[in-house]
This record gives sequence, C-alpha cells and structure tokens, in this order.
Amino acid sequence: MRYLLTQSLISSWQWAMDLGTDEKFDEFRTVLRREPVEQNEAMQKGIEFENNVYEACRGLVRDPHPEWENGIQKVAAIVKGSQFQVSGSVALGIGATDFLLYGIADAIRAGTIYDVKFSTKSFGSAELAGKYLESPQHPAYLQIWPEAQRFVYVVSDGEDVYTEEYTRRNTRRFWDVAREFWASIQALGLEDEYKKYWEAKEQ
Amino acid sequence: MIKKPEELTFDNKKFSMILYGAPGVGKTTLALSAPKPVLIDFDKGVSRVKAYHRTLTIEADKYEEVLEDIQSPDLADRETIIIDTGGSLITYLQDWAIRSNPAQNQQKNGALSLKGYGAVKQEFQHLTSMIRDRLNKNVIYVFHSEEQKDKDGNPQQRLLCEGAARNLVWQPCDFGGYVQFIGNDRVVSFTPSQEFFAKGCYGIEGTIPVPTLKPTDKNDFLARLFDAARAQIQSEVEALNPVKEQYGTVMQIASDLLAGVTTVDELNEAKDAIAGLEHALTSKAECGQMIKEKAKAIGAVLDKATKTYKQEAKK
Repeated sequence: MRYLLTQSLISSWQWAMDLGTDEKFDEFRTVLRREPVEQNEAMQKGIEFENNVYEACRGLVRDPHPEWENGIQKVAAIVKGSQFQVSGSVALGIGATDFLLYGIADAIRAGTIYDVKFSTKSFGSAELAGKYLESPQHPAYLQIWPEAQRFVYVVSDGEDVYTEEYTRRNTRRFWDVAREFWASIQALGLEDEYKKYWEAKEQ
Repeated sequence: MIKKPEELTFDNKKFSMILYGAPGVGKTTLALSAPKPVLIDFDKGVSRVKAYHRTLTIEADKYEEVLEDIQSPDLADRETIIIDTGGSLITYLQDWAIRSNPAQNQQKNGALSLKGYGAVKQEFQHLTSMIRDRLNKNVIYVFHSEEQKDKDGNPQQRLLCEGAARNLVWQPCDFGGYVQFIGNDRVVSFTPSQEFFAKGCYGIEGTIPVPTLKPTDKNDFLARLFDAARAQIQSEVEALNPVKEQYGTVMQIASDLLAGVTTVDELNEAKDAIAGLEHALTSKAECGQMIKEKAKAIGAVLDKATKTYKQEAKK
C-alpha cells in the first residue's frame, strides 16, 4: 500500500504549523480530508492568469486581457516552448511507510521546471524576495523530475514579472521535508486520517 | 550574428549584482573591488570610504546629470557602474518623475502619483538594462538592509527600497550578496537563508569571507569573483553543450514522429520509437506530455494494463 504526497498537502501542513492558529489548522484538516475547497477570488484570478499565459504561448487567437496583458506577455516570453501541465510521480519510503510523491508542473522545458504564480498584490506593495525559500514545491518537483536542473517561480502581478530560481545545490532535500511532515502527522495523531484519504491508486 | 554553442565565449561577460547589509558594514568598499569601477554616489557616502580605495565618482544633484555622465566617453574604459545606494536612486527618480511630467506623475498634495510610481519603476529598469546591455558594463546595486519580521516573528533582512524596484531589481541580477559581520569577520553570503535573501550562480554560492584590506592591498575581491564566475560559465557550457545538443535532437525527432500521427497504431509506434531514444535533460517528461496531447487529439486512451493506446470507446 502506498500513500500520496503532494506539495500542496505539505504546504498546507507547513502553514498550519508555522502560524499555529486554529484557523490554519482547520484549513489543513480540510485538505487532509480532501474536502472540496471553494475557490476564492485570488485562486480564480490565478487560474485566469495562467490560462491566458498558456493561450498566449500556444499562439491561440485571444483578445488582449484588459488588465494583465503586459504581465501575461512577459510570463509567456519566459515559458514559451515548454510542455504545460506535465504530471509526474516518484516513489518514496519513510520508515516502513511507502509514499508516492505526485505533482503537476506548470511548464517544463530543457531541464527547467517553471511554476507560474499570480500575485494579487502589486509588486509595489509586495515583498517577494525569498518568499519561496521554504516552499516544499521546488524540493518536491526536483525530486519528481530528477533530470531537471532548476526550478523557477515566475510571479506576475499582471504588469511585471519576478522570478526566483532554485537549483539542486540551494534546495533542501525533499526527503527531509517529507520526513518532517510524516513525523508531525504521527505526533499529531493524524496518521489514520491521512491514510484513509491519501491511499494511492495502484496501476 | 548566429553562433553555435561551442563558438560562444564568455571572456567579456558582464554581471549584475546586489550588495546589501547594515550601514557601515563596508558595502561600498566591497563594491569598489569590482573591475574598473565608477561610483555613482547617490547616498553622498563616498567620504566614508578610505581615501586609498576611492575611485572615479559621479556626484549629481539630478538624475539627468547621472544619465549624461554614465554615457560620457570619459567612462568608456570603465567596466563597472556602482549605484550607491539603490534606495537613494529611487528618491532621485521620484524627483525626476515629478519634474519631467508633473501633470501625470504628481498628486495635488505634491506626492508621487500612481503613474509616477510606474514611471519610476520603468526608468529604474531602463537604467539597469542600459548599463548592462547597451554600455556593456557590470552593474552593482548597493542597498542598505532593513529588518523585517517573518510570520513567526523571526528577523529577516530585506533591501531598504521603496516601491516595486525592491522586487524588480532582483530579476536581472546574477548575484545578490548579503554583507555582514560574523564575529570580527566580514562575510558576504550568496546563498539564501531564513534570515536574508541572497542569490548565487555560476558556482558563486555560500558564505565567503571578505579580506580585511591594508592600505597597500589591492581591492579586487569582486574582480576575482567575477573571473571565477566566468571560468565556471565556460566549464559549464563545455559540459552542457553535448547534453543540450542531444536534448534538441530528441525533441526534434519526437516532434517529427508525432506530427504525422493520425491513428492509434501510428501513435503506439511513435510512442515506442520515442521511448527508445537517448533522452537528455527533461526530454522524456516533455515527450510524454506531447504523446498525451496527441492521444487526446486523435481520441486515444492509454490502456494501463498493456501500456499501449487504444481508441476511446464511443459514448
């Protein structure tokens, strides 16, 4: 029996642990139970932005976006020529438990994994540098695609673009992240709940 | 001029760098260790640099004067422009934006308007690209640091800079170094940590001690660091060129194979042929995605048991 691990699950756990609020912990339990989450405005904007980027990259006929066209074109210039929404997985063992780390990369091209993010805050008011340092996403994706050399967060506020690049040399080993997650889940008494909802479908 | 990868040389490669840290930690002197520097003293702080380390310095009251000076033929042989500090440059740019177009860039109360901030941001980016791309010089942005708290209340050092520039300045930078004293030793860190953000590449990473200089010592720390980075680029290029070439070949073959596919049988043939290629970099994952998209286009689904595609059953 193997159990799924995703960067979004670990990210949700990380937020709950870092902030330590009941609200964040409840949010994490919702993710842990795989309950559907209603898309908030920020999520919807992020999806709309990404879809526009992919359409621009594929050269599809589209009307310029009334607010974000500059940002869309700048991000498209970075990720153009990639394969989009590439799924992948890799097996991982921690102690006696087998996991399957699964992820979908926004874009992959020539050894680089790109993750497109939309910032609802303008760059004039956001502090971006180092924002993704502790994210489990780049350690997870560099684990899933061992042939990739770097992971780049491509962030736009609809006008400008900020990129933050991680190579294997400055990325924490995913195994360490996963081990911490698993130890914490066990310590919190959530092992059974996790196993109930995150069993991997074997092919 | 079109060049093959093996024809590219990096002897003249120029770099962009951020150096930041607390006031008095020695950022300007460190920046002056870059090759053939010119200091743009926006901060009026050159007096704090020991006399024997000073170099050509631009002092100006207005941004336009700086623009004129850095394009002067007198600076043609200079290799590095140091902007000291980036935060003060923003103040100069705000003044410039208001004077150059008050109707658009100034609010009634005299403050910078939203469009004014946009103009500052654009000019900031224009200046960086002009120094790096048109003048072909290294550019070093010196910033003071300010302490902020992260979500756990831990201190984090960030660039002291107003507006979007504090984010955008990182974008074109090859290196971002946080300068600090650890005990009595001055160090510059190019690997990010929880306490500060930093950026390294071309083998320049981690925390590097900065030598204490005596009056007769040559101030060339960054010149040597840039040389090391250039050498690293060259060796990486030599190591990676064959891999990139193989990647390009595989992607081309896969594209050609899939382009003519119209039936499930052809798709399975193409899939097997692609699997047999000698993959490089992420070509295997990318080809996998191309196959999936082609399958979708011709109405094929993967039979997970046989790992072959079959025609999707009509609903």
